[in-house]
Amino acid sequence: MRIFLSLVVLAVIAVGIGKTLMEIPFGEDTTNVGGYYIQSGRDDTGAANIVTSVVVGYRAFDTLGEVTVLFVAAVGLGAVLAVGSASGRRRDVEPASLVLYTGCRFLFPLILLFGAYIFIHGHLTPGGGFQGGAIVASAFLLVYLGCRGRRIRHGWSKATESLGGLVFVGLGLLGLTAAGHFFLSNYLPKGTVNHLFSAGIIPIIYVAIGFKVGAELAGVIDDLVEESE
Amino acid sequence: MSFLESYAYYVGAFGLILIGLLVILVKRNLIKIIIGLSILDTGVNLFLISVGYLASGTAPIFSREGIDSGSMVDPVPQALVLTAIVIGVAVLALALGLAVRLYQNYGTLDMRKIKELKW
Amino acid sequence: MVSPVLLIAVPLGLAFLVPLISLVSRRAAMLVPVVACLFNLVVAITLMPGVLDQPVVEKIGGFPPPFCINLYAGPVGVLFAALIALAGLGIAVYAMAYIRTGPVDRYHLLYLLLLVGATGVVLTGDVFNLFVFFEILCISSYALVAYMGNKSGLEASVKYLIQGAVGSGLLLMGIGLLYGQFGTLNMADIANRMGSVNQVSVFVPLALIISGLGVEAAIFPLNAWLPDAHSSAPSSISAILSGIAIEVGLYAMVRMIFTVFGATSILMFMVFLGALTLLLGELCAFAQSNVKRMLAYSSIGQIGLILFALAMATSYSVAGGLFQLLSHTLSKALLFLAAGYMIYRSGSMEISSLHGMGKRMPLTSLAFTIGAFSLVGLPPFVGFPSKFLIVRAALARQQSIFTILLGFVLLGTLIEGAYFFRVVQAIYFKKGSGETGRSYAPAVALVSMFIFAALIIFVGIYPQPVADAVGSAATELLDRAEYVRSVLQ
Repeated sequence: MRIFLSLVVLAVIAVGIGKTLMEIPFGEDTTNVGGYYIQSGRDDTGAANIVTSVVVGYRAFDTLGEVTVLFVAAVGLGAVLAVGSASGRRRDVEPASLVLYTGCRFLFPLILLFGAYIFIHGHLTPGGGFQGGAIVASAFLLVYLGCRGRRIRHGWSKATESLGGLVFVGLGLLGLTAAGHFFLSNYLPKGTVNHLFSAGIIPIIYVAIGFKVGAELAGVIDDLVEESE
Repeated sequence: MSFLESYAYYVGAFGLILIGLLVILVKRNLIKIIIGLSILDTGVNLFLISVGYLASGTAPIFSREGIDSGSMVDPVPQALVLTAIVIGVAVLALALGLAVRLYQNYGTLDMRKIKELKW
Repeated sequence: MVSPVLLIAVPLGLAFLVPLISLVSRRAAMLVPVVACLFNLVVAITLMPGVLDQPVVEKIGGFPPPFCINLYAGPVGVLFAALIALAGLGIAVYAMAYIRTGPVDRYHLLYLLLLVGATGVVLTGDVFNLFVFFEILCISSYALVAYMGNKSGLEASVKYLIQGAVGSGLLLMGIGLLYGQFGTLNMADIANRMGSVNQVSVFVPLALIISGLGVEAAIFPLNAWLPDAHSSAPSSISAILSGIAIEVGLYAMVRMIFTVFGATSILMFMVFLGALTLLLGELCAFAQSNVKRMLAYSSIGQIGLILFALAMATSYSVAGGLFQLLSHTLSKALLFLAAGYMIYRSGSMEISSLHGMGKRMPLTSLAFTIGAFSLVGLPPFVGFPSKFLIVRAALARQQSIFTILLGFVLLGTLIEGAYFFRVVQAIYFKKGSGETGRSYAPAVALVSMFIFAALIIFVGIYPQPVADAVGSAATELLDRAEYVRSVLQ
C-alpha cells in the first residue's frame, strides 16, 4: 500500500517534470549570464579558469555561504556527538601491518603536497579550494586507517578553520574600504592571465578555503572515528 | 526514440531523483533513508550539470591561446554543483552523526521502532 | 554610508572567531551572539530611514547585476533583519543562563550561524544564494534540535533532517529548472524574463520551490516535523525556531510567489491553504496536554494566519500579515522562554504540572500570560493591532468567499483563546500539589523576558511607527516592476 502510494506520487512528479523539461533544449546554448562570464571572465577577474572566476569572483558570496555550511556541519556534528556520549572509553587498537604503516607514512606528505598544488593552482587549472581541501583531508583519513592511534590535535585544526574563515571574510571586508567600495571586490592587481601570481584575491581566497576545508573534513573524520572506536 | 536520444541525460538524472525519493518514502532503516537522500542529491547535481551541457563543448578554461570561447560549456551550473555537493556532504555528515547517536540510544535504526514521539 | 552586507559579513566573521575565542575561554563564547545581534540591530536601525525612501542594492564583487549576486535591502529585508537581530538578542541573553550543559561554545556558535543564515535569506536577491543561506539556517537548526542529546531530541532532529533535506532537494531542482529556462539566477532578472515564456512551463519550478520552502515554513501537508522538533529542542531553540526560522521560510516563499514568479493565479489556493493550516494547527493545539507541543501547534496555526493574510495580496492584508508575523515572533518567543523555566522548575511538560505556578514563579507566569494574551489578540498587546489589520483587510475585499474564510479564521482564534486561557487558568487558579515555595528564574533570563514583554506592550500601545514600516514593506512586496527596475537599472 505504502509502495503503491509512493509510486503514484512519484509518477505525478515525473510527468510534471517531464513536461517542463521539454522547454529546456538539451545540449544547446541557452545561457545568457554564462555567456557573459565566458566572454569577459578573463578580463574581469584575471583567472584563466572561468569556473573559478564564477566561484570566487562573480558568485563569491555563494562560496562564502558554502564555506559556512561546511563549518556549520563540522560544528554541528561535533555538538551532536559530544553531548552525553560516554567519553574516555578508548580501547587499544591493533596496529596495522608494517607495510601499511610505512606506505601511509610515505604517501601522507605527497598527498598533502598534491592537495596544496590543487588549491594553489585553482585559478589556472581544474580544481580549487574545495577539491584541494578534500584531498588534504583524504591524507588524514589515510593516517587514521593506516597508523591507528594517531590523532590530529584539535587546537590546531580549530585554529586553522577559524583563520581560513577569517581571511575570507576579512579580505571581503577590505573590499568595502578599497577602491569601488564593494564587498569581495577584486582590488589586488590582476597580473597576466595564466600566470601563477595573477587574478588578485582569488588565489589567496582559494588557499584559505583549502586550509579551512581540509581542517574541517579532517575534523569530521576525526569526530566519526572517535565515536566508532 | 528521438526523445531518449536528445534527453538521455535528463532521463538519467531524474531517474536517480525518483529512485532516491522512492527509497526515502519506502525504506524504514535510517541508513537506507540516508542512502536515498544521497542518491537524490546526486540526481539533482547531475541534472544541474546537464543543464549546462553543450554538444561537443570544451571545459571553460583558457589554458592556452587560441581556444574558441564559443564552444565552451556554461560555467555557472558547474559552480552551482560545486556548492550543492558541499551542501550535500554537510547534510550527509550531520545525518550520519545523528544516526550514530540514535543507534546508541535506541539500539536500532529501524524508524518503525523509534517512536518516542507521536508524529 | 552603512552597507547592508555588514549585516551578514560581520556576524559571520565573529562566528569564525568563536573557535579561537573558545580555545582561551569557553564561557566567553556566549557573549559573541549578543555582540553580533547588538551590532546588527544598530546597523538595521541606521539603514531603516534610508531604505524606506529608496532601497539599497548592494552589488557584491562590484559587477553589474544580473552578473553578480546582489543584496536587496528594501523595507522588507531591513525590517526582517532588524526583527531577527532583536529576537536573536533577547534569546541569546536568555540562553546565557539557560544553556548550562554540553558543549556550550558550540551551542552559541550554531545559534549565531542560524541567525546569519536567516539574515542572508531575507536580504539576498539571488535564488541560488537564497538556497545557500537557507541551508545554513536549516543545517544549524537540525544540529540545535538534537543539542540536548536525549532520545526525543535525536528522534525529532532526524525526522526534521530527512524532511528538510528532501525539501532542499526539491528547492534545488526548482532552481535548476529556472536556470535552464532563463539562463540567470538573479531574482529581478528572472522576474523580468518571466513574461517571455509559456506560463505552463514555469508552473513546475514554482510548485517545486513552494513545496521545498513549504517544508521549512510548515505549511499544512508538509509540517509533520514541526511539533516534534519544536517541542523536543531546548526552549531557547524552540523560541528561535518558532519565532524566526519558520517565518523566514514563509518570507522566502512569499518573495518567490510575489516577486520572482508574479504568480497571481495560485494566490487563491494559498489563501485556502493558509486557512486550512490555521484551523488544523489550532485544533491540534487544543488537543495537546503537553505545553510545548501546544505552543508548537499554535505556531502552525499562526503561520497559517500569516499566509492567509499575505496571500490575499492587497496592500492592507500584506501589511497585516507582516505585522502579525512580527507580533507572533515577539509573543511566541516570550511564551517559549517563559515555558522553559516553568518546565525547568516543575520538571514536566504537562499542563497539569503547571498548577499553581502563578504563586511559585510569579514573574515568569506573568510573562507567559502576557505572551498568551498577545498571541490571542487582546488589547493592549501587539497581537491586537495586527489581527485587527487582517480582519479589516479581509472585509475590505468585499467578496463572500473571503468573509466565509474570515469566519473560519476567527473560529481558529477562538480555539486559540480557549486553550491559552486553559493554561493561564491552570497557572493562576488551580491549586498546585507539593512544593509552594516562591522562586525566580535567573536574573539574565528575566531581563530577556522583560525585553520581550515591554516590546509587546509598547508596540501594542503605539503601533503607528511599526504600522508605517510594514505598510511600506507591503508596497515593496507587491510592486514587482519597481523591484526589477531598482535592481537592473
